[in-house]
Amino acid sequence: MPIVIFELPDGTQRKVTADSGTVLMQAAVSNGVDGIVAECGGNASCATCHVYVDERHGEQVGPPNDVEDEMLDFTAAERRPTSRLSCQVQVSDALDGLVVHIPEEQV
Amino acid sequence: MSAVTTAAPGAPVVDLDLAELRRDPYPAYAELRRTAPLAWVPSVGRHLLTRYEDIVHAEKLPEVFSSREEGSLLLRTVGPNLLREDDPEHRRLRAAAEPPTRPRQVRDLWAETFEHNAHELLDRIAGRGEADLIGDFAEPLAAANLAVVLGLRNAGADDISDWSRAMMAANGNYADDPDIWLRAEQATRDIEDAVAEMADAARREPDGSVISSMVHAADPVELTEIQNNIKVIIGGGVNEPRDVFGVGAQALLQRPDVLDRVVADPGLWKRVFEETARWISPIGMYPRQLTQDYEIAGVALPAGSRVALVIASGNRDESVFERADEFDIDRPHRPHLAFGGGPHFCMGAWVARHEVSALAWPLVFSRLKVLRLVEGADDLMEGWVFRGLTSLNVTWQTS
Ligand code: FES
Repeated sequence: MPIVIFELPDGTQRKVTADSGTVLMQAAVSNGVDGIVAECGGNASCATCHVYVDERHGEQVGPPNDVEDEMLDFTAAERRPTSRLSCQVQVSDALDGLVVHIPEEQV
Repeated sequence: MSAVTTAAPGAPVVDLDLAELRRDPYPAYAELRRTAPLAWVPSVGRHLLTRYEDIVHAEKLPEVFSSREEGSLLLRTVGPNLLREDDPEHRRLRAAAEPPTRPRQVRDLWAETFEHNAHELLDRIAGRGEADLIGDFAEPLAAANLAVVLGLRNAGADDISDWSRAMMAANGNYADDPDIWLRAEQATRDIEDAVAEMADAARREPDGSVISSMVHAADPVELTEIQNNIKVIIGGGVNEPRDVFGVGAQALLQRPDVLDRVVADPGLWKRVFEETARWISPIGMYPRQLTQDYEIAGVALPAGSRVALVIASGNRDESVFERADEFDIDRPHRPHLAFGGGPHFCMGAWVARHEVSALAWPLVFSRLKVLRLVEGADDLMEGWVFRGLTSLNVTWQTS
């Protein structure tokens, strides 16, 4: 199972094991990673599961889908080129070692 | 799964007076959080779940805490609808209805009309120097904006308000008053006709509205489904923006120092909105029914148990929000529960945020100079399932 690393705004890292086939938000929430709120439970309606994908992994993770792209304009923390909604990022073995950064604010 | 309408064995039973809850539910909620975070309340016929953590937990488990509640008054009033469905049925209807309520759509399609509507209402009262900001402004504004987003060009703001009121009354018609049912039936028939007409128009010419979006959904939706879901949205869509507007405006008028800061720094309106919705949530609770045996807040509930998620109480939970009873726009960011959570996360959230915090408040406080509350006015805060001000009497300088 792939390991993904959530880096909190203060620089501390949380390493969690994610199930392939689920989404990144799920891995964060079920492991109690602070800073991923996920109010809408993964339906791309709330924009409170925002993450910045680490530059090194940007290409691997790919661009946001249409609905997600729209929501990303309305996140609490600024949008950056590597912004994604973690509920829209599928976990796969190819993402083993992925690093994502959690923004300061979600709401 | 049939509904179990009695207390779970082992659940504490707490008598709460409905009239008292209506007047001010917060003291009772504080007591429940402290002594019985899951309690059977006979007058409500449900277990009230009142702590933040437990509510969040339940919201994230829709397969256990089902929205399909049997014997629901909402079902009787409007028929099957997305609020009382679980996924995948709920998802199909939501996907069809949601696109016009997303934030970019709100900005690109509706914001201009919302602003126009607000100015028009303010033009009407500006020269008077006094008004009830609920009846003269917030309610007609919410109704007019809702008509636009839904695509009901054949209905006026007054129709929308009347329909909403008739259905809300039926929804809380626990006393089974036949007049209330009659009025609701008339309202729902009127809505059905109006929706059928606009659905026809949208079939010929899409207009980006909710009706149009449902008519053209990739996963087909029947006309009756469109009608029922529009009824639900009309039922709630007037109250919430109206109530957040009123409660927040009153809070600021009572705190001139905070108001000065917000007027000087309009970026703060967003915080006023979120704090108002936390402090006095326009929707205070919603029902769920258990699909299986499940233990929560130390009580083993049997399948079929009826539970009310009391989000108004979760939003005052001291373990999450310090000095939770105070209105404080500077409190540390913690997510509130006012929009609900999980798949049913409020579909109107982005519409309400824009219409209230980006438009209604800033326009009212910039156009009506030296705005003051009328001293001694009987502006009542009321309700526990839904809570807001019944009126907000103010004066301002006209010259
Ligand atoms: S959880 Fe709501 S947008 Fe991702």
